[in-house]
Amino acid sequence: MSDNPPTPLVGQSDKVVQVDKLSKKYGDNVAVNDISFNLTKGEVFAFLGPNGAGKTTTVEILECLRNPTGGQARVLGYDVSRRSDQAEIRKRIGVLPQDFNAIDRLTVRENINYFGAMFKHQLDADKLIELVDLKDKRDEQFKKLSGGLKQRVGLAVSLVNDPDVVFLDEPTTGLDPRARRDVWGVIERLKGQGKTVFLTTHYMDEAEYLADIVSIIDHGQIIASGTPDQLIDAHGGRKTLIIRDAGEEGLKQLPLGLPKAELRNAGDIAIPLHNGELTNILMSIGQSPLRDKEIEVRRPTLDDVFLNLTGHRVSEEGN
Amino acid sequence: MRSRIFTIINGHFKSWYRSKSNIFWTIAFPLLLIVLFGAIFGSGSTKFDLYLQNQDLNANAPTYYSQGYITVLNNTGAFNLHVVAAEQPDPLTYVKSDAQLHNRGQRLLVIPLGFNQTLKSGGNATVQLYMDQSDQASASLAGIVRSVTISYAASIARVPDHLVLQQVGIVTKNIRYIDFFIPGVIGMTLLTTGVFGAVNTNGRYRELKIIKKLATTPLSKIEWILGMVGYQMILATISLVVILFFGYAIFGVTATIDIYTVGLVVAASLLFPGIGMVLANFVKEAESADAAANAITFPMMFLAGTFWPRETLPDIMKIIANFMPLTYVNDGLRDALIYAEPAQALTNTIIALGLAAFFIVLGSLLMNWKEE
Repeated sequence: MSDNPPTPLVGQSDKVVQVDKLSKKYGDNVAVNDISFNLTKGEVFAFLGPNGAGKTTTVEILECLRNPTGGQARVLGYDVSRRSDQAEIRKRIGVLPQDFNAIDRLTVRENINYFGAMFKHQLDADKLIELVDLKDKRDEQFKKLSGGLKQRVGLAVSLVNDPDVVFLDEPTTGLDPRARRDVWGVIERLKGQGKTVFLTTHYMDEAEYLADIVSIIDHGQIIASGTPDQLIDAHGGRKTLIIRDAGEEGLKQLPLGLPKAELRNAGDIAIPLHNGELTNILMSIGQSPLRDKEIEVRRPTLDDVFLNLTGHRVSEEGN
Repeated sequence: MRSRIFTIINGHFKSWYRSKSNIFWTIAFPLLLIVLFGAIFGSGSTKFDLYLQNQDLNANAPTYYSQGYITVLNNTGAFNLHVVAAEQPDPLTYVKSDAQLHNRGQRLLVIPLGFNQTLKSGGNATVQLYMDQSDQASASLAGIVRSVTISYAASIARVPDHLVLQQVGIVTKNIRYIDFFIPGVIGMTLLTTGVFGAVNTNGRYRELKIIKKLATTPLSKIEWILGMVGYQMILATISLVVILFFGYAIFGVTATIDIYTVGLVVAASLLFPGIGMVLANFVKEAESADAAANAITFPMMFLAGTFWPRETLPDIMKIIANFMPLTYVNDGLRDALIYAEPAQALTNTIIALGLAAFFIVLGSLLMNWKEE
């Protein structure tokens, strides 16, 4: 580690994060294996993968909490491995660690000011409270807040220094669906303000909903990158026609000549669609006893992308 | 940098006074101990054991001046005098075995043959005090004997002003149990708030990812540690003031706050959080760290002279107590606050500051700020 003066990389100012052949090993265990990606200013970038895939290790290298064992990473042009650069990075990034909790007995406002005081310049606490929609709770002690509200305090704390890039490590893990949606709302507002956001998540829907660019990581390696649409088009497979609640009986009532259908766990029938087949299939079903059933066309999701790329799905718990 | 350290102190302090259990353990519990122990033992005196051999006899009765000297010693109320027969040829050996047998301090005062005659003729008589210099209680005892001797010499030389002044000094040395106990409670409170404060704060803040979050800001590890030490100093000052106030209000304990007291409070505010930080590094889980902190603090509390004088401990325990940092804080606080023994207070303050520097530096070096 060098102590030379900080040296931001010049000429690539729109690249907020540059990762090149980055590796991190703990003895024989390879947590991150030769990964490369870039994050451009104003983007929401999702690092998507199951627990233990190497997401947090990577993000903590970018936050200067861990040293890489190979390759290079730059944040805002500064080298994460150089001590003098790390000081510059810390001034200009916002971080929400995974499972972060603020100080129990301080109020929402006090917590924001507490973490804000660590920086030379801090944003007005009341404006941040407004951004995360916690006006009614500003004088409430942190320990009395629900999980979703606590996470919104964490988001406010991560923004307190008006950072050039915000790292959010699994910001909605463990939250109920409504609280997750509320956190998504805050991230969307950040996106609207043009903030650059680096998001790690194991929720496919979260990445698909929020991210401009998604990199999928599994066993320490990036297995695919692109916009959600690009990933789905390339790896998601076909669209599927779903006939709701048709059951075993419904399978027998399907008109002859349709592509091979399968019964899914909720009793739905799923029929894979090829280009140009939809109209014919719908006409056939319309003349069968299944015509009164609810029918929908389901587009592949990042879940399907992950399944097709890795052969397994990621559970709700991230495993 | 200053505002960051102030913010850390402020955050800790607000978290402290908003917690009822913190207030209880830092203020109410020590006061409860003082009231309970004071009510049970407070009126009793703590007297020093002192063996006395009067060789200056006339027809098996003490001579005039030797009897006068013994009477003044007795009147201080500070001693349990144990007489050694004048014909005992080796009084030191006798005292050593008898003191061990009865678990007393090994101190012998010898009034020599010819004491009366020498003083009568206006000459200089010498009394000899044998004691273990490393025994902290003996140092206080020596101060009292010295004062008695000076006062008595002044009284027989007819210098009344000097005599009065010295006698007042002797009366203030009449140490009750509660006088002994209060500095011990202060030491114990500094120990528990320091060790548990550091263990719990570092353990809990690590679990809650607060330390991880702070490590991603410009805050440095040294600023975090200084903030914690500053907070401990505030708590230590509050404990000192509250305990001394209640000690005075309820039991009339008068204490002298001097530079050594300040030095000891500073030392304790570095020393005990330093021990806590070392501990927190080896025991990562908050719950186990709590158990480890109990395992360290409880023996220290009982062996380092918090509740009773160390001279009542078995020899092996006395040796162990010499390795306990709280011993030097307790002794130093007693020397400074109650015994008014500046030389002893200085020694203990220097030892406590040395230990404080060692533990805070070790704790700082061991503390993980980054994730590796």
